Amino acid sequence: MQSFLKKLKSMLKVDFKRMFTMPLVYIMAGVSFAMPILILVMTTMMGSAEEGETAMQGFTNVWQSIGSVSGSEMSMDLTSMCNINMLYFLVAVFVCIFVAEDFRSGYAKNLFTVRSKKWDYVISKSLAGFTGAAIMLIAYFIGAMIGGAIAGLPFTTEGFGAGGVVACMFSKIFMTAIFVSIALLLGTVAKQKLWMSILGSFASGMLLFTMIPMIAPLNANAINVIMCLAGGALFAVGLGAVSNLILNKTSLV
Amino acid sequence: MNAIEIRNLTKNFGQKQALNGLNMTVPKGAIYGFIGENGSGKSTTEKLICGLLVPSGGTIKLFGKDYKDADVRSKIGVLIEAPGCFPNYSVWNNMMLQAANLDIENAEEEVRKVLKVVRMEGSASNKFKNCSLGMKQRIGIAFALLGNPDLLVLDEPINGLDADGMRIMRDVLVDITKNYNCTVVISSHILGELEKIATHYGIVRGGKMIKEMTAAQLEADCPTFIALRAKDIEKAKSLLERKYPRVTYENEYIRVYGEVSPEEIVSYLYGCGVVVTEIKTDKISLEEYYIDLMKEGR
Repeated sequence: MQSFLKKLKSMLKVDFKRMFTMPLVYIMAGVSFAMPILILVMTTMMGSAEEGETAMQGFTNVWQSIGSVSGSEMSMDLTSMCNINMLYFLVAVFVCIFVAEDFRSGYAKNLFTVRSKKWDYVISKSLAGFTGAAIMLIAYFIGAMIGGAIAGLPFTTEGFGAGGVVACMFSKIFMTAIFVSIALLLGTVAKQKLWMSILGSFASGMLLFTMIPMIAPLNANAINVIMCLAGGALFAVGLGAVSNLILNKTSLV
Repeated sequence: MNAIEIRNLTKNFGQKQALNGLNMTVPKGAIYGFIGENGSGKSTTEKLICGLLVPSGGTIKLFGKDYKDADVRSKIGVLIEAPGCFPNYSVWNNMMLQAANLDIENAEEEVRKVLKVVRMEGSASNKFKNCSLGMKQRIGIAFALLGNPDLLVLDEPINGLDADGMRIMRDVLVDITKNYNCTVVISSHILGELEKIATHYGIVRGGKMIKEMTAAQLEADCPTFIALRAKDIEKAKSLLERKYPRVTYENEYIRVYGEVSPEEIVSYLYGCGVVVTEIKTDKISLEEYYIDLMKEGR
């Protein structure tokens, strides 16, 4: 156990060092930050120009870019489609690139030659992916605040309260663990074939995408947070075990 | 105890059988030259030893333990195909990452040491993508040397290098064999270079080990001969064929095998009116031995 923790620690050190020294995480955080500013500012401008004529319902509140109130069904309007939930796909892309890079560069070859146990790799990648995903969601949140202020949208929290927004954000951050573990699993299956893992992650992510507004609404509470934490942990452990099995049973080059 | 003991190893890639019951024994401390044609199964065997492929059948034991054993695996250094480095990282940063993976204490000191061994201490700040092929191969060896491995597996580290790169690499390999007390498995098509360092050989064909031997056995198997050139080469060959049981003509030299001295040949040919222009004692090289062995199997 001590040896495993020692190995995990060294693996984590490497993965975090890699993550923060490669441009990918900064690009992803930058995109996450810029995305809500562009969406909120542009849709507000478009809405005022075509007032009365637009078929799509635009943003009327800053928090709509973070989530929707539970009970409201997911519709195909702008606020439902262009909000923070889009980031789950970006998170999948991030993790897929992070994993594929290991196999493409030959780093995985170096690593797995000296490490016969694959669990530390799976755990370390999951934690690094989760951290990267959390950074992206927080960047989006900050971007939404700035974008909302620029667009002049109200910050009123009527019907859900500030606590609901905080719980919603935590729920969404914990939920990224589900998408991270899916992307990690597909990354270990596809290895160097990045396109395959990204397509697979998108396809499986689409199935879960519609559930996000229900599980992590704007009026979320402690139960939602716990549910998302438990779900994220369950997926991470379950799919992590499958990833571990795949790494043990398949060729690594 | 043997460093590597492989029994009845098979590996199938779909319908294609890459290894077909391969047996291999590498004694501890040996420098094992692993020889075979392209597609004969050398790289597959090496990848299996390193745990990068899953065998279809057979057993692999490293230092008496199963090849999956974590302790054994942590003491393997490997260069298979290209070294696994991030192209945009400097040589130093790539090395430090691997040192962290291996949980090496005094990582900086250790990295400096192995970079010196591979003559790369002055290029540590270069980005990996800007390094030449020869430098990349040496970085790969530096990677493999990190953590003082008990077993080094090097897949064709010399191939593709120019004359200078090959000379440096040979010096590096000689240094390693002198200064690192480890077992080395090295595959290469450049048999002349391999012959200078290997203590043991394994020759593989069609996914099977067809011969394993020590350098001393190879020496005994490779007969010495007298190689000569004469003014009238055809006449000289015909005269020698009449007198000696085994005479061949290869690479513009007549070869006379058996218990015979150059003086005896010179005086015999001189007596028959043939002037010898060049004569020397030589022996069959590993390359010739290998080619002959391959011909026998066809």
